[in-house]
Amino acid sequence: MEDELRVRLNDHQPSKIFPVKPKSTPKPLSKPETPDSRYWSSFKPHSVPNLVSSVSAVAFSPIHPHSFAVAHSTTVSLFSSNTLTASRRFSFKDVVSSVSFRSDGALLAASDLSGTVQVFDVKERMALRSLRSHKAAARFVKYPVHDKLHLVSGGDDGVVKYWDVAGGTVISDLIGHKDYVRCGDCSPVNDSMFATGAYDHTIKVWDARVGNSKWIAEINHGAPVEDIVYLPSGGMIATAGLNSVKVWDLIGGGRMVCSMESHNKTVTCLSVGRMGLEGENRLVSVALDGYMKVFDYGRGKVTYSMRFPAPLMSVGLSPDSSVRVVGGSNGMVFAGKKKKKVRDEEEKKKASVMTSFWSVKSEVDESRRRALRPSYFRYFQRGQSEKPSKDDYLVKERKGVKLTRHDKLLKKFRHKEALVSVLEEKKPADVVAVMEELVARRKIVKCVSNLEEGELGLLLSFLQRYCTVERYSKLLMALTKKVLETRGEDINGKEEFKGILRNLKREVNQEIKIQQSLLEIQGVIAPLMRIAGR
Amino acid sequence: MIRGGRSYVKSPPSFSNDAKKLLVCTGNNVSVFSAATGLQITSLEGHTAPVTTLIVVPASSAAQKILCYCWTASLDGTIRHWDFSGPELLKTVDAQVPIYSMVIPCLLSEPQQLDSSKLVAYVSVEDTSLVKEGSKELRGHIRRFNLAKERLPRGDTLKETEEPKSIVISPSGEFFGIHHKCKIHVWGVPSGGGSRNALAKKMTLHHTKVINAFAFHPTERIIAAGDVTGRVLIWRSFGNRKLALASQKKNARSMVDLDNPGVRDGDDAESCTTWHWHSAEVNVLNFSSDGAYLYSGGREGVLVVWQLDTGKKKFLPRIGSPLLYFIWSPEPTLSSVVCADNQIHLLKMPSMEISRTISGIKPPPSLPKMYEGLSSTVAFDRSSGIAALCTENYCVQLYNLLNDRGISEVQVCERNHQPGDEITVVVTAVALSLDGSVMSTTEVKLPEDGIGGLVSLKFWESEPDNKTFTLSTIVYEPHKDAGVSAIAFHPTRSMAVSTSFGGDFKIWVCNSDKSQTEKDSSWICHAVGSYKKKPMTAAAFSGDGTVLAVAAENVITLWNPVKNMLLSVLGATLTPITKLCFVGKSEFLVAASNFPKPELSVWNTSKLSLSWSYGLRIEAVTSAVDSSTFAVLALVPKTFRKSKSKKNIFRGRDGAILLFNGSDPKPVSIWTVMKAQGGSISFLEGDKSQLRLAFVNGSHEYVVFDPSSDDTHERSAIDYEGLVGEEETGDFGYTSLYGQLPDYDKKRKEDAESLATPFISSERPWETIFSGSTLNFPPLQKLCGEFFESLMEKSNSVVE
Repeated sequence: MEDELRVRLNDHQPSKIFPVKPKSTPKPLSKPETPDSRYWSSFKPHSVPNLVSSVSAVAFSPIHPHSFAVAHSTTVSLFSSNTLTASRRFSFKDVVSSVSFRSDGALLAASDLSGTVQVFDVKERMALRSLRSHKAAARFVKYPVHDKLHLVSGGDDGVVKYWDVAGGTVISDLIGHKDYVRCGDCSPVNDSMFATGAYDHTIKVWDARVGNSKWIAEINHGAPVEDIVYLPSGGMIATAGLNSVKVWDLIGGGRMVCSMESHNKTVTCLSVGRMGLEGENRLVSVALDGYMKVFDYGRGKVTYSMRFPAPLMSVGLSPDSSVRVVGGSNGMVFAGKKKKKVRDEEEKKKASVMTSFWSVKSEVDESRRRALRPSYFRYFQRGQSEKPSKDDYLVKERKGVKLTRHDKLLKKFRHKEALVSVLEEKKPADVVAVMEELVARRKIVKCVSNLEEGELGLLLSFLQRYCTVERYSKLLMALTKKVLETRGEDINGKEEFKGILRNLKREVNQEIKIQQSLLEIQGVIAPLMRIAGR
Repeated sequence: MIRGGRSYVKSPPSFSNDAKKLLVCTGNNVSVFSAATGLQITSLEGHTAPVTTLIVVPASSAAQKILCYCWTASLDGTIRHWDFSGPELLKTVDAQVPIYSMVIPCLLSEPQQLDSSKLVAYVSVEDTSLVKEGSKELRGHIRRFNLAKERLPRGDTLKETEEPKSIVISPSGEFFGIHHKCKIHVWGVPSGGGSRNALAKKMTLHHTKVINAFAFHPTERIIAAGDVTGRVLIWRSFGNRKLALASQKKNARSMVDLDNPGVRDGDDAESCTTWHWHSAEVNVLNFSSDGAYLYSGGREGVLVVWQLDTGKKKFLPRIGSPLLYFIWSPEPTLSSVVCADNQIHLLKMPSMEISRTISGIKPPPSLPKMYEGLSSTVAFDRSSGIAALCTENYCVQLYNLLNDRGISEVQVCERNHQPGDEITVVVTAVALSLDGSVMSTTEVKLPEDGIGGLVSLKFWESEPDNKTFTLSTIVYEPHKDAGVSAIAFHPTRSMAVSTSFGGDFKIWVCNSDKSQTEKDSSWICHAVGSYKKKPMTAAAFSGDGTVLAVAAENVITLWNPVKNMLLSVLGATLTPITKLCFVGKSEFLVAASNFPKPELSVWNTSKLSLSWSYGLRIEAVTSAVDSSTFAVLALVPKTFRKSKSKKNIFRGRDGAILLFNGSDPKPVSIWTVMKAQGGSISFLEGDKSQLRLAFVNGSHEYVVFDPSSDDTHERSAIDYEGLVGEEETGDFGYTSLYGQLPDYDKKRKEDAESLATPFISSERPWETIFSGSTLNFPPLQKLCGEFFESLMEKSNSVVE
């Protein structure tokens, strides 16, 4: 106790100097950054040249370097995910509706509105196969996750087709949907299972091994289904229809787990993204309202939401979660990329190994150079950047208060010079702080009357600019009045002050108008509030 | 009973010979502090009036350094000789006149052959035989006393002045002198001391300005003097003619005709130089022990070190308060500077760092006129007995009343100390939450010529078990332009209310989320309320926190603080209410109003009616948390105090603490106190479930006592009667409203008389109440008994 007291008695050091500080501004009430928002806002936007029309689909190659295909109009463009530039184009006869990579990333399947499903080698321009069987527009095509031989596609004819790609033949026509089939996804755990969604509000789960072309499960979304995605566990699917996104438990017999209805317009596309390499999975949805929302389906919460300047049609996230691509309806592609840190370092290391082999000689030179002699300037700086080791005892240097120029002048009671020097710095908060200090010292009026012509102009232009800012107006309005009163004859008729005064007048008039209209609004609202309060 | 808060700075302190102890005059005692820890070791008690001079007998050799003898002189007219290691009183010499200053030259000049029979002291006394009629009476005398004699003659008077002056002695013991207006009178001490009747030779130095302080050089004949305008004058080789010793007489004559630069009126000095640095008066002047440096200081709170030969300066800036004394110790690395804010700073010498501070209770700030009486500048932490006091320099000092020790300081407003300026920033109120963990302060920056001006409300939070507060939230202009009139904390939740003269009050809550750390917690406005746009002048939460009472000028509004609903309105008092307080957990509410017609009223909140009221001017109200007792600090009007029959009761005391119990309009006890203006009272509820009452007066002296001890009742009997008389005679409406008060129990009074007779009470018990020691106190029961018995004597006088 006594020891403690002694320490405390020592605490209050009278020899302290307090520099002039601006008023602290209120902290925003919003919560601090969550890990989600930090992660999802860390994609650095990259500009991608505008495409011609609506971006209907985005697909990532499952193989590194995860290049991605963007379907727009009658073209599919292949982009490199490193540089985010288009490297290859595949053209179609009709508008492309869907695009999908094979599991090894070598082949690419795309469907178009003519009903054709085409398979390309990513390295060649010409189609390897052209699968024609749909009687109406094909709306989706999907490679099973590991299977390299088959394809699933669906279209406006209401039929889901299971293809043998090599032979170019339909293995089975899966009939059951009563309206346009719009979307589908293959199970990540079983290559023969897939789910499709249609405008008849239903999601049907199929098994290619079951011969009688009957679905094995059916879920009613309650709205025309726009997109469907299997969650990574394979036991759950997420569906989008109208404004809602719903998550279903397939193993539990099609039970709804949670639903998210924070979009204002139709949700167009869903995607599953992982937060980093070890992070949790999140469901990313985009909608025509221009919002991309990140949905934590484990907790049933929207954790991040981002607005884009266009209705959104498609979204894609690279499997290594380094690239995020959002396609808009007007052909804009919003690509975002994370900085790659680890790999960069690795590469650097590799490079350094390479150079060190060659630089043995230079190292010898270096050691010779390191023996510093007093003829070098560095000799006098040696050891300055030395870091203390762990068991060293540190003698702490006493930290002095760093004083700005106006503080030093205030310390010497050179009030006018302090005011002028802070006015030159163009930091309004600091200027107001110095003015407040001068008020506290009862010196501001004297300062104003002592200002020379140029300095007066400096002050007037500051006042003109900031006197209607709400935070400073109380002080500055009174000061402006004082300046105009006391220095009237100096200001009058001077060319250089004319513009400033005109601006000042305009600013004040404008502020008065704003205040009046605000009062009017208050007059309207106050009775309403009173009624509401009853 | 604990008394404390005495001034450490009334007279200069002194180091012991080994520089390990610092002796400080504290009221009637001398407190001995350890220089190493800054804590009090012991105290010398015996004087019955404030000690004015303290002389440590210097050691002549290294072996004597452990000797701990000192002489003290006091206003009670005695000179005492002590061994302060004991502490033990060795000798008392009665001078019979109040002593303001004393020097003993032979202690310094010839310590080796110290013969007690030759001890001659020069003292500055006040001649009480002369009636003070105007400023022309020469009441201050400089006299020579021989301390060897037990009983002193009147002594030889050397000089008479209008008022007693402090005597300055040269470190060599050859000269001593006083400053008087624009002059310095210097006497040479007759050498040898053999010729007892040889009077000291006198000389005078003249200046054009009033001299504030001066000092002698330790070895050479140099005098440094500081005047009111801040000049430092150095006279060299003074007294060659007039004070010259016999051997030098011939040389002196030859020097008469020499031109002496800077010396006025043919003064006896070779040269006079002037140094300028100080912008205001110089209060401190002292040469270093080797004579190479001169220390000066004054209003600015800057210690300046002058190199004597060159005039070069070094500074210790921003001490933060006017300096009063600078004292060096026998140890060359240690010295001490004493400030007007009751702080003694110990300096590590060559570097002039403040190594330790002996912190007394700081004096109250001087407030501008408009804030006098409005502000509540003292707050109490009831459980730990810590008071938060607004002081000078925008600080709040946390002072432990039970230990009489400063704990920490909070700089409310980060501004530098600027002497001599008018006050432009005022800390108007401080409040502590019931558990003492949250403090709230308001400060007002006064506008200049209508420009600027700002009211801000600050919330400070302390770590548990650590009374250092850190700023949590600043609210600028909490009630627009209007000033904050009161702050009150909720007893259980983290909620506070601030009321303003602008006609609204705001309830503030702490929004510390569980997920966030404590440091992130901040206070936000929870609700705003107003009643008919009337200025809100006071606020109080009820004991359980369910009701908030806010005074809207002269009505009391009761609110639900959580839902911000007006529950009811209590009728009107005659004048605006300034203080509100719920009585413990009972349904009573105490309201006090001061201007223009003072009134203390107690309201029953369950019946929504006035229970009773007095026409008393109330300075402070407090109530116990658990019981239904409450106490008020009332100012006794001058007219009443001056009336002859009451004079011996009050004796300069201007206030009374009245203890009430619940709805009973009859006070349980009454104590009269000094300097009640600006004072504050509070109940302290310690861990021993012992209820104590703390009273801090207008100059931050305090007393903590047990109001329920039996002796208090006897004490109360007297003053109660006195006050009743006042209400009959005065223009206060108590008797007119409630009729004659019931007769006090006569029997009890008789008991009191019989008890009182065997004791001899001191002459002026209440004036000395704040001058006792706190650390080695006799047991409380004994003390209380003595204390109240001392007061009993007066009852006799009244009764007779």
